[in-house]
Amino acid sequence: VTAANFLRGRTVRDLLVVLVVVFGVGSAAMLLAHVSPLVGFGALFDGAFGTPEEVAETLVQATNLLFPALGIAVAFRAGLFNIGAEGQLVLGGFAAGYLGAVLPLPAFLAIPMVLLAGAAAGGLWGAIPGFLRARFHANEVIATLMLNVIATLLATYLVNGPLALPGAGPSETPTLPQAAQLPDLVSDSRLTWAFVIALALAAFLRWLLGRTVFGYELRAAGDAPEAAKRAGIDLGRTALVAMTISGAIAGLGGATIVAGELHRFNTGLSPGYGFIAIAVALVGNLDPLWIVVAAFAFGVLQSGGIAMQAEAGVPRDVVSLVTGLVIIALAGRRVVASLRMT
Amino acid sequence: VNALVAGVLAIVGLTLIKATPLIYAALGGVLSERSGVVNIGLEGIMIAGAFTGVAVSGATGSPLLGTLAGIAAGALLAALLAFFTTRLAVDQIVAGTGLNIAALAGAAFGITLVYHQPGASREVPAFGTPGQTVLVGLAFAVAIALQLVLTRTPWGLRVRACGEDPSAAEAAGIDALRTRFTAVVIGGAIAALGGVYLSLAELDLYSDGMTAGRGFIALAAVIFGRWTPLGATGAALFFGFFSALQYSLQRVGVPSELMQALPYLAAVIALAGFAGRVRAPAADGVPYVRG
Repeated sequence: VTAANFLRGRTVRDLLVVLVVVFGVGSAAMLLAHVSPLVGFGALFDGAFGTPEEVAETLVQATNLLFPALGIAVAFRAGLFNIGAEGQLVLGGFAAGYLGAVLPLPAFLAIPMVLLAGAAAGGLWGAIPGFLRARFHANEVIATLMLNVIATLLATYLVNGPLALPGAGPSETPTLPQAAQLPDLVSDSRLTWAFVIALALAAFLRWLLGRTVFGYELRAAGDAPEAAKRAGIDLGRTALVAMTISGAIAGLGGATIVAGELHRFNTGLSPGYGFIAIAVALVGNLDPLWIVVAAFAFGVLQSGGIAMQAEAGVPRDVVSLVTGLVIIALAGRRVVASLRMT
Repeated sequence: VNALVAGVLAIVGLTLIKATPLIYAALGGVLSERSGVVNIGLEGIMIAGAFTGVAVSGATGSPLLGTLAGIAAGALLAALLAFFTTRLAVDQIVAGTGLNIAALAGAAFGITLVYHQPGASREVPAFGTPGQTVLVGLAFAVAIALQLVLTRTPWGLRVRACGEDPSAAEAAGIDALRTRFTAVVIGGAIAALGGVYLSLAELDLYSDGMTAGRGFIALAAVIFGRWTPLGATGAALFFGFFSALQYSLQRVGVPSELMQALPYLAAVIALAGFAGRVRAPAADGVPYVRG
């Protein structure tokens, strides 16, 4: 989808739907809480943009959503419903936190190693449903949904059990050595180079999906699987590769949260980024460029929601409520011609 | 010997207690999927049932009214999902995922509004043990009834026809969209009862996240039970049994995470077809658009 396409026709209607849901449902919820929508949304936007620190936090939230949303978009474009970004992100974060803590390496090696570990773990977790799909025609939706829960349980088990490290709190890894921590982009904020990496990744994916043979095959498998098959595209291999890349991107996101913001793995590292990212990917029309814009918008809701609750007394659950409704409203925007379970 | 019998009885009792909400949710899922709509939103529907049940029981003092309201709330959410997935032919998976997020947040928001405290409601009039026993028994009655409805009644045949081949069903004079809508709504009402059971029978309050992924385990039970009401009930009992054993096995040194992961692992394995022939309804998850 080019910028020109985005600004006309169906996508404009979709954008209007999103705005109506966000401001309509948001206002209704605020009125129920006896808060004027002007005050509520005022507090939200003030909380997201009021000070330089708050702007930085908004960008942090946008970054955390951008990684899984980009991963989801790769899978969705290939016609695969990766609902498993949350689990891929959590395991990516765990691999990053664990290896970063146990391997003493200089900075120029430690940071790439930590990020690669995250991508590898997430990629592996994404490859499982990809493999089951390719080999057994197993439905990837149910598989990723189940693997989300298994991922959280596995990480909890490992971090407290066989891979527990000395000097760590419960359900945590110890603090990463300085060398393995992503440098701050803005001092005294949680905004790190993860933001830049995410933007670069979006640009790369836009090129990969739009301008390469690989991207073309991937989209063909998603848009017209039967035709793609006749054209000699191996759908099973495409499913495996797409799910692996999708999981790796989400896992990389988990690694950046660990290496950038928390400086340790914690089982509670994600407040559901992998699920909110579904809304981000859909609002961004599965196009990496517009997903960046959508991630920013949802980053505003995430970071502003805290202020909305503290300053205006509106429970921040309103943000999740609106996010869920946006997903429902946009569920029809792209009927993916997916190969269904046989 | 008496101790052994008592121990076995305790495990059986605990299995039934743990399996019942799964049975309701799984039966709702079976009905929906046999009509061709994958209901990923079972978790959200259980949440709606659990929350609304508590809110209405708290307001009226009647857990029975709470139950009816909880069922109505589940049916309403299912109707929303059904409207989007049948009339607007939107993607069932994406819509169901949105429903889960919205329901969890909506209930959390509602708790704060009604009880002026985040996290959990206050205690409300609930059923206690006698009512719980009735709801456990009712789950099995619903399972048998649904099995008979699906296999022995014209409506059940129509539901299954829509799940296998909606175009052929329409050619035979069945209104596929309407049949799917009805099946999803009734399925939602049944699944909501699983939520009501949690908040008004097993406990007497609603707390955030109390459904704890049971809607997803129910989806697993649907697959493991090969899309039949009795099969899904058996799978729910199986998962309930492991949930009941969790505390004993934990003492022996089996990690609790492994026990909790078991239903999900079983579902993944069943999906891959390792557990014998597992076949979903042919049109399960495929939006039907009249040509």
